[in-house]
Amino acid sequence: MITLLGHFFRRMLTRGRLIGLIALSSLAAIVVWLSQGGEFGRGEVYPTAVTTAGVTFAIAVLILTVGTLRDERDGGTLPYIYMRPIPRTGFAAASIAGGAATAIVIGVGAWIATVLGSLAGGVDLSETFAGLSLFVTAAIGYAAIFVPLGYLAPRSLLFGLGYVVVLEQIVGFMVNGVAQLSIWRIAVSIYADIAPTVPSAMEDVLGPVTPGVTDGLIKIGIVLVVGWLVLTWALKERDAV
Amino acid sequence: MTDTVVITEVSKWFGFKVAVSDVTISFGSGVTGLLGPNGAGKTTLMRLVAGLQKPSQGKITVLGQDPREHVDVYRKMSLVPEDEAMYERESARRFIQTMARLGKIDDPVGKTEDVLRIVGLTDAADRPLGTFSKGMRQRAKVASALVTEPEVLLLDEPLNGADPVQRAELIRLFKELGAAGRTVIVSSHVLAEVERMADRVVAMVDGRLAAVGSVATIRAAMTDRPRQIYVECSDPRRLASALFRTEGVVGVHLEADRLRVEASDARAVADHLPRLAVENGVRVTDLQPADESLESVFRYLVGSR
Repeated sequence: MITLLGHFFRRMLTRGRLIGLIALSSLAAIVVWLSQGGEFGRGEVYPTAVTTAGVTFAIAVLILTVGTLRDERDGGTLPYIYMRPIPRTGFAAASIAGGAATAIVIGVGAWIATVLGSLAGGVDLSETFAGLSLFVTAAIGYAAIFVPLGYLAPRSLLFGLGYVVVLEQIVGFMVNGVAQLSIWRIAVSIYADIAPTVPSAMEDVLGPVTPGVTDGLIKIGIVLVVGWLVLTWALKERDAV
Repeated sequence: MTDTVVITEVSKWFGFKVAVSDVTISFGSGVTGLLGPNGAGKTTLMRLVAGLQKPSQGKITVLGQDPREHVDVYRKMSLVPEDEAMYERESARRFIQTMARLGKIDDPVGKTEDVLRIVGLTDAADRPLGTFSKGMRQRAKVASALVTEPEVLLLDEPLNGADPVQRAELIRLFKELGAAGRTVIVSSHVLAEVERMADRVVAMVDGRLAAVGSVATIRAAMTDRPRQIYVECSDPRRLASALFRTEGVVGVHLEADRLRVEASDARAVADHLPRLAVENGVRVTDLQPADESLESVFRYLVGSR
């Protein structure tokens, strides 16, 4: 399983992708940096930055993780790894873990950029650590959705964009139940519970989702288990090529 | 001979397209050639045996187990896929080592060096696969399949892109594996290629089995088939009347400025034609088989079953 995870990690995380996707994920940091010294206060800038990150980071992770197995299927290399004595449960776990690990690398890059942007504005370093939880939990949650989606659907990138843009950003603001399914909001709820100070305007980002580390982690855990079960089923029941 | 791969009443369809239709056959040790024109269903059958696709109907066992259910089968079965795709940025050595590790074999590093030597890629082993020629890629794929020392080896068009020397080497290797008691199933659309390495041939067309037997049996079936030959000459009418009286000729048709000769025995016609031309003072300028494609041969075989 470790070999398979390493294989995914090596194949997905090319230098070009690393630079491009970290740059995309760092748009929020640029928002923070550009707002320094402006007329808007921290309470107004932060929700905008978090929402921006919610879109750009989600898209970056989507681009990266949806290809974990989809690239192998479309490229014709899946038989090399599929035809190995690895139980499908382990194969599914390694695939999601590989996707999550690469997404975390992008998340850490985006977080570092955000920290640098915040420090330039005089924010205390201790306040920035909570942001890491935001990117890490989101990376894991998104990978649990996008890796199985990539294996199952030929137009997975399109479906993924539908989830990020339509479901999370539009429908999620209007429908209470859908907001609870938003990986980004779940990640923000964990962040909001950990962060020493959270601007009140962040409530707009969270919507009906209440801050809480335990609840957030349970939700991410459920998403992980469901993603793993779906992928295991797909690997067993669906054609691999 | 113990059957290692058993296919029972297997069909596979994709929507309305039937790729494999009600195939029942088994394979044992030695080299078996899976022969058929493009689109005959060879690759789909290979993928079904490999467990990459699930049969729509029927059952497949490899070494007594269903590969879709028991992944342990993959300790003893390997596939060389037809697709050219590989991990372009990885070196051949790293690629094969990874496959060896995923195959959970002992001494993956040592075994990798062994198979690199067998396929003659030791010197190029550290180059990225993306820089390899088609023939070198084929050899790297074969090496990745051999590294786990499989009992069942599935080779989908393994000689594609290999030059004549590499072909000879690979054919020798496959024959050695077959002689050592491994089950080697090689798909190809080139009869001459299969003839050089396989003891037994399974011919497929339109997803169905067309013929099963020794290479000699398939050859005989193909020779018995009526054939059509186009003959271009200086006086088609005169030659046509002479051909009508010739043994092995079933019919002669005048088409524009050439003849289409239907023959029950093409070889006899070929033997008689020069003599007839000389006797009748006709100059033959061109002689072409009208339906010599492998596909037409296989269709004949299917029709005769």
